[in-house]
Amino acid sequence: MNWSVAFSNESVIKFTARYLPRHVVGEIMTKRWIDNAVPFLALLLVVAICGSLVPDFYAASSITDLGRQVAEFGLVVLALSIVMISGGIDLSVASVFSLSVLLSLIGVNVYDWPVPLALASVLAMGAACGAVNGYLIGFLRLRAFLTTLVTLIIFRSLYDILFLRMSTAIMAGFSDSELFFFIGEGLVFGLPVSLLIAGTIAIAWHIVLSRMRPGWRLTAVGGARRSAHNAGIKVRWTVFLAYVWSGILCSLAGFLFAARLGSTGADTGVGLEVSALTAAVLGGTSIGGGRGSVAKAIMGALLILILTNSLVNLGVNGPITSTILGAVLLIAVFIDMRWLRHRTRILAKLYVSPAYLVLPPLPDTAAPDSPYALNDRLRSVEIIGLGEIEGPEDVILDRNDNLYCGTRHGDIVRFFGPDHKKSEIFAHIGGHPLGMAFDREGNLLVCIGGMGLYQVSPDKVVTKLTDETNRSLFSIVDDSRLRLADDLDIAPDGRIYFSEATIRYEQEEWATDALESRPSGRIIVYDPRTGSTRTEVPSLVFANGICMSNDGRSLFFAESWTCTISRYWFDGPEKGKIEPLLTNLPGYPDNINRASDGNYWAALLGMRTPALDLALRMPGFRRRMARRVAPDQWIYPNVNTGCVVKFNEKGEILESLWDFGGENHPMITSMREHKGYLYLGGVSNNRIGRYKIPGADPTWVAEESYWGPRK
Amino acid sequence: MIAALKKAYANFRGFDLTHSAVPPMEGPLRPNTRLDAMPVALALDGIDNLVRFGEVMMCSSGMRLITLSRAGQTLNAVEAAEQPAPISCLASDGSDALAVGLDGSGIVIRGGKHDGRTIDRLGDAAFSCPTSALFVDPDTLVVANGSSRHNAADWKRDLMSQGSTGSVWIVDLAATGGAAVTRLAENLAWPSGISLKRDGSFFVSEAWRHRVLSIERKGGAPSVALADLPAYPGRIETAMAGGFWLALFAPRNPMVEFVLLEKEYRRRMMETIDPEYWIAPNLAPSKSYLQPIQGGARKMLNRLKPWSPTWSYGLVCYCDAGMRPRWSMHSRADGHVHGITTLCEWDGTLFAGAKGSGVVVVAPILETDGLVA
Repeated sequence: MNWSVAFSNESVIKFTARYLPRHVVGEIMTKRWIDNAVPFLALLLVVAICGSLVPDFYAASSITDLGRQVAEFGLVVLALSIVMISGGIDLSVASVFSLSVLLSLIGVNVYDWPVPLALASVLAMGAACGAVNGYLIGFLRLRAFLTTLVTLIIFRSLYDILFLRMSTAIMAGFSDSELFFFIGEGLVFGLPVSLLIAGTIAIAWHIVLSRMRPGWRLTAVGGARRSAHNAGIKVRWTVFLAYVWSGILCSLAGFLFAARLGSTGADTGVGLEVSALTAAVLGGTSIGGGRGSVAKAIMGALLILILTNSLVNLGVNGPITSTILGAVLLIAVFIDMRWLRHRTRILAKLYVSPAYLVLPPLPDTAAPDSPYALNDRLRSVEIIGLGEIEGPEDVILDRNDNLYCGTRHGDIVRFFGPDHKKSEIFAHIGGHPLGMAFDREGNLLVCIGGMGLYQVSPDKVVTKLTDETNRSLFSIVDDSRLRLADDLDIAPDGRIYFSEATIRYEQEEWATDALESRPSGRIIVYDPRTGSTRTEVPSLVFANGICMSNDGRSLFFAESWTCTISRYWFDGPEKGKIEPLLTNLPGYPDNINRASDGNYWAALLGMRTPALDLALRMPGFRRRMARRVAPDQWIYPNVNTGCVVKFNEKGEILESLWDFGGENHPMITSMREHKGYLYLGGVSNNRIGRYKIPGADPTWVAEESYWGPRK
Repeated sequence: MIAALKKAYANFRGFDLTHSAVPPMEGPLRPNTRLDAMPVALALDGIDNLVRFGEVMMCSSGMRLITLSRAGQTLNAVEAAEQPAPISCLASDGSDALAVGLDGSGIVIRGGKHDGRTIDRLGDAAFSCPTSALFVDPDTLVVANGSSRHNAADWKRDLMSQGSTGSVWIVDLAATGGAAVTRLAENLAWPSGISLKRDGSFFVSEAWRHRVLSIERKGGAPSVALADLPAYPGRIETAMAGGFWLALFAPRNPMVEFVLLEKEYRRRMMETIDPEYWIAPNLAPSKSYLQPIQGGARKMLNRLKPWSPTWSYGLVCYCDAGMRPRWSMHSRADGHVHGITTLCEWDGTLFAGAKGSGVVVVAPILETDGLVA
């Protein structure tokens, strides 16, 4: 069978592009938890293999026993993980563990301390041991590896000395504490007590590490020590605390161990640091710091415990088990290194996921009777602000003839009317201002790419209105934050409808979204009366221009990559209806605005080309292009030619204004009519154009068309 | 099976198995704006095939054969003769004979002792794509047939269908019973220029493989004289000071190289789209917005950057006697002397004809230019 022919069949392409959610793969890859996928799969594999080889693997008693061991070992792995996340390493975990076992038994068995006192003193001892490490490494800046190697030996020696003196006393003594026995052997709801304790601690640490400031600071210190310092984090103190917590968790693990076994031996805790390190790395905690989680620690601990227990059960002797663990550690380190190095590259290859899109045949622009007939009417327009502004995506005029535009430097510039020779920076917001509109009170509302919806009052006060909407149920990327708010308009009741072009890319990556042509944009409504933000129309292909129709109940919106302008009723009897109005534009529509004669202007930011139209029907071609060809070499919509069209509510094109060849105005992204003139903006231009519209009403002002004459 | 796996792995890792990576313009090919700075000697749409012919210069524009007179650094059209087909190449024997390549129907000799002789068959096949001709002596002509499947005007289709059906022939005009032709080389990917070496062998540029071959007079396997060019080589002219002028008529482009790997896309593009709007090299920037643009060619702050990726370019390279590039003249993405298809040296002056932009630009050849060799 000839596969290339089979797969090139267009209906197959259409089917797979529609029903095979390729983009999901890339989106999952952006998630931080994807790091856990490999250890999780390894865990499943180990469980499956060991479960089939080891007799009684799934028996209740084995699982309870495993639970108790997981509680102790897991705490040690967690301790080590915390230190590793902070960018260090703690080899002394095993020695602290054995010291704690000894101290617990001395307290409970020999001196009959009450259990809480024994626990407190054990934890204090652990904290002290951690503090020694933390002080030496955090404040005196000694090397973590050598320091903890030394403390490993010192604490171990302490253990050996104390063990020799006290072993007979421990053996002779016996605890009659019910509580101590309960901690060691008890079950609550069928679960070992020690597992419950460890589980509670794990959940607490999960919340701290993933949701709270101390955890984020710890990760920051491990990820980039200098940046963390520059960000104002107390690096030394954070490192110190990481070791203290490591000591505390290890000592708790030792206490649980003592409670379970009630005795200790000369080899208690020997080699534990290697197993713990193996478990941490196997779980996916990075040796270099800055990456790790409680889930990783637990998975690593489970992997190692199941592996060692099963090997012991199968009669494999100690040295061989150690060899196997060593080999596993080596493989884990190798995978960790490769994964870290290639993750972003794999992501870059997988993320771009073009859709299948068929555009109708290109309308003819060469015929003189075509509504799109070519002309050069925009070639000789007046030019405003040449070289003073960069990137006026949208332009707007107020009742006093002042002209406002955004720039890529994050400013809103105001040109003073009526001649627009002088200008000032009206407001500095920081992100690139895109669509603009005036509300009833004369506030300027602006969509800012990457930031959200902002308001600038006439006295220049900048207020954030919204930067998030409701998270949709099945989205994988977080679509609650606004990534690319694009254009807006205001309903008569004050509700603000604005478009978000895409939830998958940032503003400067708009061309990658064009390459995908996937419905990842939407229309969102912000209600100033309640301060709420809701997604109103989801799944639009690069939702762009928005303009209220003159009936006050519906709006027109543009979807750039499908070359359509549609009408959406948000009120009235037809509420919720969407009707495509223009479905075959010769270019990619951008902003839409009202014209003085009751019709509407739409800017075409670029023109369709047959080669790109063909590529849109071949998702595989575009996917390979995205992978193999540098973005600078990709084929783009032809944004070097600009065009403005006027349409009416019936969906007829009334006229077209061209700058054929794009000498003055390539990539026209917006236009506003004001007192008989049309003002032109372009997101990558360094000027604003002013075109006298023949026969247009010389008194018409957009603000009055929305909000009535000046009061 | 193993080949398929290898290919899949190379696809995944992005290896270049097909040698389609475009080499950068560097060293002797470092970009400059010399072509744009040169004065325009003549503006004429479709100007091509400049050739010295006694005290005048000949050129072509479509089907017209035009006589040009020289006044210092300008050329003036004095006379035009309509030919039966578009002229695809010209060659002069240095005295009174002119070989005129007619697209689709071979070569016809005008003037001289072989006046009126036509060469319309090469061996068993028709001579349909004369891309270059060269008089070795008044009785011997070397001709290049760019492709056996497409006409010269259809060069883009030949490139995009990865044609390699071109051939080079030597023609004995004095042979009894009509011209006798002998094949020097075959299976070439669009041979587009011929030049005579001092030792009597030839340099032939093979455009679609972006290289210049050296072909012996007696035939045999060609050897590669210059390879890995960043543009498609065309005509080669002998420089008086020694060495050669090499015209490169269109740039290579990573996107085009990618499309050349995409069989299905190329098929559908060639079937449904006007060649003017293909993803393919061009002689001149398209005036229509229907031609695709590349990301880097987007106008920023109303300007096209000279380093933008481009489908068309102007490039003339001076090579030494061994075909090693020495220095070059450029017209970059934002320039206006694109698609140089023909070169002609006359009394220490170089005339470069840009078919794409429809101009002939002119520059005196400085002594230092030649001495670089």
